[in-house]
Amino acid sequence: MTEGSGGPEPGVGGGSEGARGWLRGWRPAVSMAARNLRRNRVRTMLAVLGVCIGVLAVAGLGIFGNVLALGADDAIGDIGTQVVVSPNADAGVESLSAADVAAIRRAVDDPAVGDPAVVPLYSDNAVVEGPSSQTFATVYGVEEPGLAFEAAEGRLPDRHRQGAIVGAGVAEDLGLGAGDTVGIAGSQVRVVAVLAESQTFSPVAPDDAVFLPESAFAADGYAQALVVAESGATARAAADAIREEVNAREERVDLFELAALVDEINDFFDLLSTFLLGLGAISLVVAGVSILNVMLMSTVERRQEIGVMRAVGVTRRDVLRVLLAEAGLIGAAGAAAGTLLTVLLVAGLVAATPAVDAALVLDPTNGYYLLLALGFGVGVGIVSGAYPAWKAANERPVEALRS
Amino acid sequence: MYSVELRGATKRYPGAGAEPVVALDDVDFAVEPGEFVAVVGPSGSGKSTLLNVLGLLDDPTDGWRLLDGTDVTELTVGERTAARKESIGFVFQDFHLLPTLTAVENVALPTAFDPGDASDRAADLLGRFGLGDRLDHEPSELSGGQKQRVAIARSLINEPAVLLADEPTGNLDTETGESILAEFERVKEEGVAVVAVTHDPLVEEYADRVVELTDGVLEGGIPGRDPPAEGPSDRDADAALRPGER
Repeated sequence: MTEGSGGPEPGVGGGSEGARGWLRGWRPAVSMAARNLRRNRVRTMLAVLGVCIGVLAVAGLGIFGNVLALGADDAIGDIGTQVVVSPNADAGVESLSAADVAAIRRAVDDPAVGDPAVVPLYSDNAVVEGPSSQTFATVYGVEEPGLAFEAAEGRLPDRHRQGAIVGAGVAEDLGLGAGDTVGIAGSQVRVVAVLAESQTFSPVAPDDAVFLPESAFAADGYAQALVVAESGATARAAADAIREEVNAREERVDLFELAALVDEINDFFDLLSTFLLGLGAISLVVAGVSILNVMLMSTVERRQEIGVMRAVGVTRRDVLRVLLAEAGLIGAAGAAAGTLLTVLLVAGLVAATPAVDAALVLDPTNGYYLLLALGFGVGVGIVSGAYPAWKAANERPVEALRS
Repeated sequence: MYSVELRGATKRYPGAGAEPVVALDDVDFAVEPGEFVAVVGPSGSGKSTLLNVLGLLDDPTDGWRLLDGTDVTELTVGERTAARKESIGFVFQDFHLLPTLTAVENVALPTAFDPGDASDRAADLLGRFGLGDRLDHEPSELSGGQKQRVAIARSLINEPAVLLADEPTGNLDTETGESILAEFERVKEEGVAVVAVTHDPLVEEYADRVVELTDGVLEGGIPGRDPPAEGPSDRDADAALRPGER
């Protein structure tokens, strides 16, 4: 609709003209509504307070849930990049053979999967002796530790030929550093590197393990293989590729896929957010009922006034506008106050509790919850006001005037 | 041409029993421009119903209604509202001003949602009724007589053809009542037909014509005619015309 399409007839208004006329009708309605609301300040304030609390609940709980989810995502984000492949004991497979590892490498050797590194591990348990104490630890045999781990001290060899690489936890327990000697299952081995503390959860638990060269193991198969991908998505793709290729004929391997776990954790936090929002929404619905109540009372009290307006020629639509504006103003005032209060409350909480990461609270997605609550507040006002307004506007003036 | 006219207007309400209540019984009524008619009768005689039917607040069950010669018997709700705004002014016993609006805003209420600002015209009208210094006062700050003057000014904001008053002096003392009736005289001099429903003998003194409504039956409804003799033939002629008009 444009101005031009209307032609010369003055009655056919263009789009912008129609919008202006629409706005023009609302201005006196809003001004009249504001004055009506001032008549019974206490009642109006209580209704506004109801919406304010409802909006506070929706915005506050929404942001709370979101910060929880963001925090969790921050903490566990990395773990989704590993896939642990282990032999399927249920199918009688005790260990991964060289052929299995080759099959895994073939499966993930694909640019679409991001070409992740495959690190097969031998595994055993042994007593590890330091200079003054000893501990029980997992001992892995690994050829290319650099593909899956990072050193905090010393250097990870490209090919692990000799010496021991000690996990951060074991090194701390036994007071070991690079260059020290450690006793493993009776034999003395030099520590070539200490691993950086693992930031993520992994079933391999490198912190509490010692890594030896593959040659130290006499086992006939690998206990597991680590597939280290760049991202959660490529890890999932790699896992799918392995399932398809290696498990094609026989379920030879089990996959422990952390990406799936991350998904489930995220799903849980989504659920938690929704649940918290739902809790907030209940209080907003209660606020809506209070607006409904206020508007019904007020239209019943002003029945004659509304009848007079209708009698002197004010249209039903304009009466409806005045009453909707009243409910909308209550909703808008409550929503604005509730949003402001939420911002203050969250800011106060961040200032008071150092444990809360300010970066998580300032995340733009939290603004979305503020806007959502603001919109809900105004919407609840209008929806709750609709029925009383419609009822009052459609009452026959002759009935309304009869006192 | 009459400003407002009822022909054979009957209004029946569903009563408590099987029999409907007949509030208006075959009423012929007409008011000329500039004429002040007082409708008297005991309580429950149908006076308010007559005013509501004349004022397009209520529809007659039978018969028809003309406003400035136009048939307005059957209008939609929206058309009735527009016609009221266009041609009819109301003055009530309880004044019925909106308490949140100032005097000027009350007078301009019928046009409040229209494009343009009627404040100047409303202020002029208030000035004419001696309220030039009360423009921004709220109704609570005005006396009864002043409120009724504001109400009269409101009824005139759209230059109506008919002013309908329901017990306009009912809540006023005699002196104030007289001054309000004097205002009605001025209004009718501008060619507005004034119909006042009243118990007040004072109103009868000011009226050009007094008609009496008893149990829904109106005597002397048409000016200068004897209704029982002329009524039926008029009705027949109009009845023949009516289908073509719709």
